[in-house]
This record gives sequence, structure tokens and C-alpha cells, in this order.
Amino acid sequence: MSSNDLSLRSAVNDLYCDHHGWLNGWLRKRLGNAFDAADLAQDTFVRVIKARNALEIREPRPYLSMIAKGLLIDLFRRRSLEQSYLEALAAMPEAQQPSLEEQAILLQALMEIDRLLQGLGPKVKQAFILSQFEGLTYPQIAERLGVSVRTINNHMAKAMEHCCLMQIQLQLA
Amino acid sequence: MNLSPTELKAIGVAARWYARLQSGIATDADRAAWNDWLLADDAHRQAWQRMTAVGEQMARVPGGLAAPALRGAERSRRQVLRSVLVLTSAGSLGWLGWRSETSQNLFADFRTAVGERREFRLADGSSLLLNTDTSVNLRFDGRQRVLELLRGEILVTTAVDPMQRPFKVVTRHGEVLALGTRFIVRSREHTGEVAVLEKAVEVSSAGSASTVRLQAGQSIAFNATSLGAIRRNDASVGAWQQGSIIAIDRPLAELLADLSRYRTGVLRCDPRIAHLKVSGAFPIDDTDLALAALESGFSLRISRYSRYWVNVSGADGRGHSPR
Repeated sequence: MSSNDLSLRSAVNDLYCDHHGWLNGWLRKRLGNAFDAADLAQDTFVRVIKARNALEIREPRPYLSMIAKGLLIDLFRRRSLEQSYLEALAAMPEAQQPSLEEQAILLQALMEIDRLLQGLGPKVKQAFILSQFEGLTYPQIAERLGVSVRTINNHMAKAMEHCCLMQIQLQLA
Repeated sequence: MNLSPTELKAIGVAARWYARLQSGIATDADRAAWNDWLLADDAHRQAWQRMTAVGEQMARVPGGLAAPALRGAERSRRQVLRSVLVLTSAGSLGWLGWRSETSQNLFADFRTAVGERREFRLADGSSLLLNTDTSVNLRFDGRQRVLELLRGEILVTTAVDPMQRPFKVVTRHGEVLALGTRFIVRSREHTGEVAVLEKAVEVSSAGSASTVRLQAGQSIAFNATSLGAIRRNDASVGAWQQGSIIAIDRPLAELLADLSRYRTGVLRCDPRIAHLKVSGAFPIDDTDLALAALESGFSLRISRYSRYWVNVSGADGRGHSPR
């Protein structure tokens, strides 16, 4: 282990000792839940360790809270999808409700789809959902959204390109 | 792997073809031209394969489920993300008002998760007990003590204030002014509820000038335009403080709706037994235990499909469950 590694390690250690409690409290106040707060605080420090930049951090608390805020948003993304998925499930007729195993697989697949769509503008996303999940033709979508068929065509091409690049990126990650 | 400019370009073109062929108005000429493009180059075929992989991914979830789920998530996120941006720049969510409830809850001063119950001591010596899934903002200043109940249910025990500032609980449906007292306020989607345990409070609806004085042992429901009739508290009022729901001849559906406040996921009641009258004390800190008590005490059948999905039906086959 090089001396550089050693000093990096001790910097992370100091950071953890000095600010972990504070970060935990900061997260807990926002989440209202000690378990999630502890998880996210841990994840925040994992990010710092992976970034290997602990020696360069000048303002530890703003820096940590910036990372934590990103994780908070990720967590909220997942929770909001899970919640609306459950509501969609509950709205289905009983006879069509999927089994326990199917439900878990569907949620997982839905989360992956959600990640592919992340970053698309709301109008593009709306057109995409109407086409891919509700089976509307472009003239029908155009009418519903009050734009031209050509615009829908452009939205869809953009969405497909975006999803494809996201999929490649995620497979590499 | 880094994509080469050729590959990137092919993906862009493939996306346009894919979009064209999915339009519902593609012609034979379109399909023939696409076929020519596809056969012209290996890079085209590779890019096309990637498009179909995206299409397969989308097909893994039934559209009738994916569309509402993605849309619902989008809606709640838009509210929260907006407020996160505001939070980083202004440091306060106050001016957003009641409009973005979700974001307010996430950043409220005091908050409990589903199934959690917590007590806080306030600076003036008053105490605040938050029931499950509750958010409260604190607005104490030189003139008044105000609690904003954003959602959920609280038990307030006010302390005598040396500065003699009035103590108020504000909900979106109306206000409760404490007159030296212990009381419970609950904010629901369309109504608010107040129950007084000691002394008295004054209740006013948000949209009307009338107020009513409520004495110990009394409760009232109100909405944004009017106040309901005054009722007498029974044993079930505030039982959550001791960790239970007390039901006295309550319709099963109502009791389950109440229990589901303390657990995440869907708790579904077969409509055929919704009106079945049940009585008893049911623990809210372990709602599975409460369900087990219902199952054995009232010959019901509890079917679990996941930790998120529980179905309650009649044990004798009244009500069938999903496969």
C-alpha cells in the first residue's frame, strides 16, 4: 500500500468520524425513517471511497449533503415507481392480477424501463408511453397531444435512440 | 466499449426506422426502403438488433400496468424534484403552500414513516406525538405557536407558555386553537378531525367564519367549507397512543382501511364481506398479528401474495382470491 493510499484512507476515516453522525441526522430529518437514513449515509460514504478524492474535499458537509441529496432522489424515484405500480396493480381486475413471483419480476422490469426513460422530456415520454404501452398510432397520439404526426415521429425516434444508448450504457455499468 | 461514430450514426438512423415502422401508418414502400437499408451494412443490422432489444425490454411489462405506473411515478416526481431544486436555492419550502404536498412531507420538520410513532418535545415544553405516516411543520415565533399538520395524525399536549402565545394546529381543512389542553388532530384527504381529551379547543373550518368550542370527551369532523356535528368520544379515540385500534361493531372494510395506515402496500377486502361487523383491540405495531387475530376470530381468510399484497376474504369461500 502506497503512502498515498494510506493518507487517502485516513482522510476517509476522518471524514467518517467527523461527519457520519451529522449526515445520519440530516438524512433522518428528511426521510423520517432511521433505517433508510442509515442506509443512505452508508451509501454516501461508499461513493466517497469509490471517488478516491477524500483528500481534496474542502467543504465536507456541503459535499456529503450534495451526494446524499442525489441518493435521496434516487431512492425517491424507486419508491414513487413502486407506489404507483402498486396502485396500478390494485386497479386491475382480480382475475388478471399476477402471481407473487410475476409481481416481483414485473416490478424489476418496470424499474429497468424507468431507468431507460430517465432523462427524456415529459412530452417525449408521454408520446412514448402512448405508443409503446397503450398501442396508439401516431395520428391518434398526435390528435390527443395536439401536435403534428411528424412531431410524434420525431419524439419516437428520439426516445428510441435515447433508450438504446441508455441500455448500452447500463449493460456496461 | 466505446461506440464508434459509425455505430452512433447507425443507431440514430435505426431509431428513425423503428419509429417509422411503429407509427401504425407505415406503407409497403417504407418497409421496402427499410429492408434495403438493413441489408446494406452489417452496422445497420447490429443497430437494428439493438432497437429490437429495446422493444423487447418494453414488452416485458403488460402495457395496461406499465402505462399508469410510469405516469403516476412521473407525476409525484415532478412535484418533489421541483421542490428539491427550490430547497437547494432558497432553503425553504414555505412559499409552495399546500400545492405540493408530497414534497412538503419529505422535508417537513417532524415526520414519521408508515408504521412509526414518535414523540417530540417542543421548545415551549409542549409535547407532540406523531402517529403513522405523519408530517408536521413548526412555526413558532414571538406572537404565536403554530403547528402545520401536513398529513397524518397528532396528539398535542400543550404547555403553559410564559409568553402567553396562542397555540394553533393548522390543517388544510381548518384550524384548531388550543385552550390549555390535550387533543388529537387528524388530517385526511378531504376532511379533518379533532378529538379533545382534556380541557377544550376552538375549531374553525378554513372556508367559513363559524367556530365551535369543543369540550373534553367531544370530537368533530370538518372540511374546508363546514363543521360537522359534535360527537362523544368512545374508547376507540386515541387508542393508537397505546399501540392499538379499538373497534366496536365496525364494518370490516373500515377497520382494514384503518389498519392499512400502519403498513405499506395493498390490503384488499373482498367486497362481499366489507360490511361484516367486527369488534376487538388490534395491535398496530404488528399489523400481521392484527390480521391473524381477525382471521381466527372472525373466520376470515388472509391470503398473502407478497409483502405488499394481502387479500382478506371469507373462509368459507365467500370471495375468491387472485390465483
